[in-house]
Amino acid sequence: MNNDIGIEIAADGVDVEAIVERIRKSVDEKIAAGLYADARIAAAERTNLAQLRNDEQFAGFYLQCLRDAVYVDISDFEIRERRAVLAPFLVRLKKAIWSLLKFYTYRLWSQQNQVNGLLVTGLESVDEKYAEKIRALEARIAELEKRLGGPPPAAPAG
Amino acid sequence: MPLPRSIAVVSPRYPDGVTVGGAETLLRRLAERLAARGLDVTFLATCARNHFTWANECPADVRRIHNVEVRRFPVNTDRDPALFLARQSAICRGETLTRAEQAEWLRHSVNSDTLLEHLRAESVRYERILAGPYLFGLVWSVASAFPDRTILTPCLHDEAFARQELIGEMLRSVRGCLFNTEPERELAIRLHGPEAGRGVVVGMGIEPFEADARAFAARRGLTAPYVFYCGRREAGKGTPLLTDYLDVFRARTGRDIALVCAGSGPLDAKPFVHDAGFLSETEKREALAGAVAFVHPSTLESLGIVLLESFTAGVPALVHAAGAVLRWQCARSGGGLWFRHYPDFEAELELLLERPDLRHAMGERARAFVRREYSWDAVERRLFGALEEL
Repeated sequence: MNNDIGIEIAADGVDVEAIVERIRKSVDEKIAAGLYADARIAAAERTNLAQLRNDEQFAGFYLQCLRDAVYVDISDFEIRERRAVLAPFLVRLKKAIWSLLKFYTYRLWSQQNQVNGLLVTGLESVDEKYAEKIRALEARIAELEKRLGGPPPAAPAG
Repeated sequence: MPLPRSIAVVSPRYPDGVTVGGAETLLRRLAERLAARGLDVTFLATCARNHFTWANECPADVRRIHNVEVRRFPVNTDRDPALFLARQSAICRGETLTRAEQAEWLRHSVNSDTLLEHLRAESVRYERILAGPYLFGLVWSVASAFPDRTILTPCLHDEAFARQELIGEMLRSVRGCLFNTEPERELAIRLHGPEAGRGVVVGMGIEPFEADARAFAARRGLTAPYVFYCGRREAGKGTPLLTDYLDVFRARTGRDIALVCAGSGPLDAKPFVHDAGFLSETEKREALAGAVAFVHPSTLESLGIVLLESFTAGVPALVHAAGAVLRWQCARSGGGLWFRHYPDFEAELELLLERPDLRHAMGERARAFVRREYSWDAVERRLFGALEEL
C-alpha cells in the first residue's frame, strides 16, 4: 500500500522529516480522493478530537469524516454464519427474520439518517459562520495594525 | 559558583517500584547520581502512593536507599478534596480563576506542613532544593517558601494547569529550572515569558541494554507481530486512541497485529490487545526489543523516558504529531515518525511493517542518538553544569 511513497535508505541512515512529509502528501491526496472515507475511521477519530482541537485543518477533516459516516446504509452487509454445521439453513433463517423486521427497521433507519443529516448540516453551517467571522476579524486586525505601523511584539501569556 | 554540598530533592511521591510516575522517577535517578558523586542528598516525599486519593499509605520514616536518605512525611489531613476538584474542574473547563481560587486549588492539592517544617528546621543544611513536578501544591509551597534555594524540575506540559498565573510566578521566582527538553523550555517561555525559561536542559540518563527480541513473545504465546505501549493507560495518555486506531487498522488492512500494553489503568478488552500489566525491567526491555514499533500517542510529555528506552532497544517509534516533545525526540534522533490522524497512522504503520530495513535503520540511528545525548555521562555533565550555574 505504501509502494507509491518510494522511500530509500541513504548511507548515513534515514531522513524521518522527509519520510513524514512524503507520507503526509500522499495521505492528503488520498483523503481528497475519498480513499479514507470510512465510517470506522470517523468513529476512531473521536478520541483524537481533544488533541487536535486547535488546528483548523483538522476541523475540515472531521467534518469530512462525519459527512462520510452520516448516511448509514443498513443493507450494506452480507448475512453470514460462522458455524459450519447447518450454515445454509441458518443463513436462510437469518434472511427470513431480516425480511420480516425490515419494514420496522427501515422506519427507524430513515429517521436516524434524517437526524444525522440535520446534525451535519448544522455543524457545517456553524463551522462556516465562525470561519467567516474569524476571517473578517483577522482582516480588520491586519488593517488596524497597518494603520498603527505594523504588528506589536508578541507578549507572553499569563 | 561551587557545587552545593547538600541538596534536598522534593517530590510528592517517592517511586519505590509500586508508585509509577515519570517525574518522580526522574527526580529519584538525579538524586542517586548526585549522591554517587559524594553530595549529601535527601529525598523528601509524602507518605502517599495514590495520586488521586493522596492517602497516607506509607509510614512516615527515614530510610537509606542507594546512598540517598529518603524521608517521608504525612500529607496534610485538612485538605478539602471537594474544593480541590471543583477548582481543578474549572481549570479543565478553561475558566479563568482568580488568584485566590488558584491558591485554593494548590493549597488543597497534596501538601505536607511537616515536610515544610523539616525544610525550615534544616535550612542551614540544604543549600539547594530540587523540586518537581510543577502542578502539585507541595512543590508550589516549597518554591514559594524558599525561592532563593529552589531549582525546579517542572516537567511542564501544554495544559490548562500550566497556564495559571501562580504557576507562572513560581517559574519566574525560583533560581531556575532543570528542563527535560528544549520544547519544554520553549513552552515555559511561551506561557510565562523569558524569565520562566531560565535554566538548563538536562533530562535523564538511560542505561544501555541488550535484550532478547523473541523472549517476550515466546513467553506470552504471541504469534502475531505487535506494537508496544508502556505507561499509564488513560485518555490523557492517548491509550483509547491507540486501541481504536489499531482496531481500524486491522479491519482495513487485514493485517494481524497485536497491541501489547504494559502499565496500569483501564484498557479496552479487545482480542488483539494483550494486557501485560506491570513488567519487570528485564521483561519490559524484552517486550520493547521484540516490537515492530513503540507507539506513544500522548501529547503531554516533557521527556519521554520509555520512548528513549525503545530507542535504546533499537526500536522505532510512532508518536502523535501534536506532542511537541515526543515529535522533537523522533525528529532529532531519526528514530520515529509522527502522525496527525488515523490516515497518517495507517500509512506509517504499514510502512514500518513492510520495510524491516527501514525499521532497522531508524532503530540504529535512535540507539546512537540515546548513546550520544542520554548516556549518564552526558546527562551528568549537563546536571553538574546546571548546579554550578544556577
